[in-house]
Amino acid sequence: MTGCRFEPDVIRAAASGEWTSSLRGHLDVCADCAAAVEVGPWMEDFARLDDREHILPDPAVLWLKAKLMQSNTMMQRVALPITRLQIGAYLAVAACWAAVLTWKWPLIQAWANSLTPSHVVLASAGTQAAATASLSVSFFAGIVVLSSATVFLAMHTILAED
Amino acid sequence: MLAEGVLIAPQFMAARAEKARRMPNEPMDEARFEAFYRKTAGKIWSYIYRMTGDAAAADDLLQKTFFRFLRSNPVIADEDHLRRYVYKTATNLVFDHFREAKRDRAIAAAEMPPPDDFRADRGELRHDMMRVFGELKPQERALLWLAHVEGSSHEEIGDALGVKAKSVKVMLFRARKHLGALLSKKGLAPQ
Repeated sequence: MTGCRFEPDVIRAAASGEWTSSLRGHLDVCADCAAAVEVGPWMEDFARLDDREHILPDPAVLWLKAKLMQSNTMMQRVALPITRLQIGAYLAVAACWAAVLTWKWPLIQAWANSLTPSHVVLASAGTQAAATASLSVSFFAGIVVLSSATVFLAMHTILAED
Repeated sequence: MLAEGVLIAPQFMAARAEKARRMPNEPMDEARFEAFYRKTAGKIWSYIYRMTGDAAAADDLLQKTFFRFLRSNPVIADEDHLRRYVYKTATNLVFDHFREAKRDRAIAAAEMPPPDDFRADRGELRHDMMRVFGELKPQERALLWLAHVEGSSHEEIGDALGVKAKSVKVMLFRARKHLGALLSKKGLAPQ
């Protein structure tokens, strides 16, 4: 028992104004019911205020939208492992780029410097040939592989979104 | 031809309603949802509207309520359970709405006007009543509406508000006293 057992009857009587003597007598001994009577008629009037001519959404549209939302959620759940794999691949490729650039940075700098016009002239005179020769073919092959992997990943992301 | 169409339509509707009534234990299909929605949506909208005082928010929250309801894949046979679930969901969404509004108000300070029907500058009775009701705490509004308008038991109210049925007795008493005091202060108390 959680509330006074007369409470529903008291609320009904307060709304309709139809009181029995026993119910009216009960108000003297029950503070809960007395409080209910205090606001009951006002709540009744408040509930009776018309809510304008309100048009509720069509249930068929709600049903359809809910089903669409459900299928979207399901698709997202299915795509989650792929998304995680993509993120992992991006991190791996970025790590490879960072490792290669850090490891070969002095040689890359030297090679880049060798491309300036003054170095080209000096190299053609035969005084400075060591720097350009130090970057191996396997290094360039590695760069090509990494670049391909980056492009492949980017293309995969774009196509997967489509 | 036209007369035939007019005769078929109510029969078709009755058949759908009968179908909806006869399959209580199966997952909710569109016909059963429609029947349930037509029975409850108006009441839920009124409840949300009285709680928020904002018709646009009530529309939005009503849709969200039924989206959540459908997402839960309702299969419970007892319609009373479904009704309770919808009220509980609507109540939670309304409380979330107030929390968000409070956060937004903290950001936008005085720039945001109050919801349309809780505004004080309209003299009509409905707006006076909405304003008085708007002065109560959201939980008090829910308690009073469910107890007095929906005729819900303390157990049902506790279920909707996520509190123990025993606590509802005390909370409802305080809510009634608060509303009573507001009505007396504004000279609206019933004689």
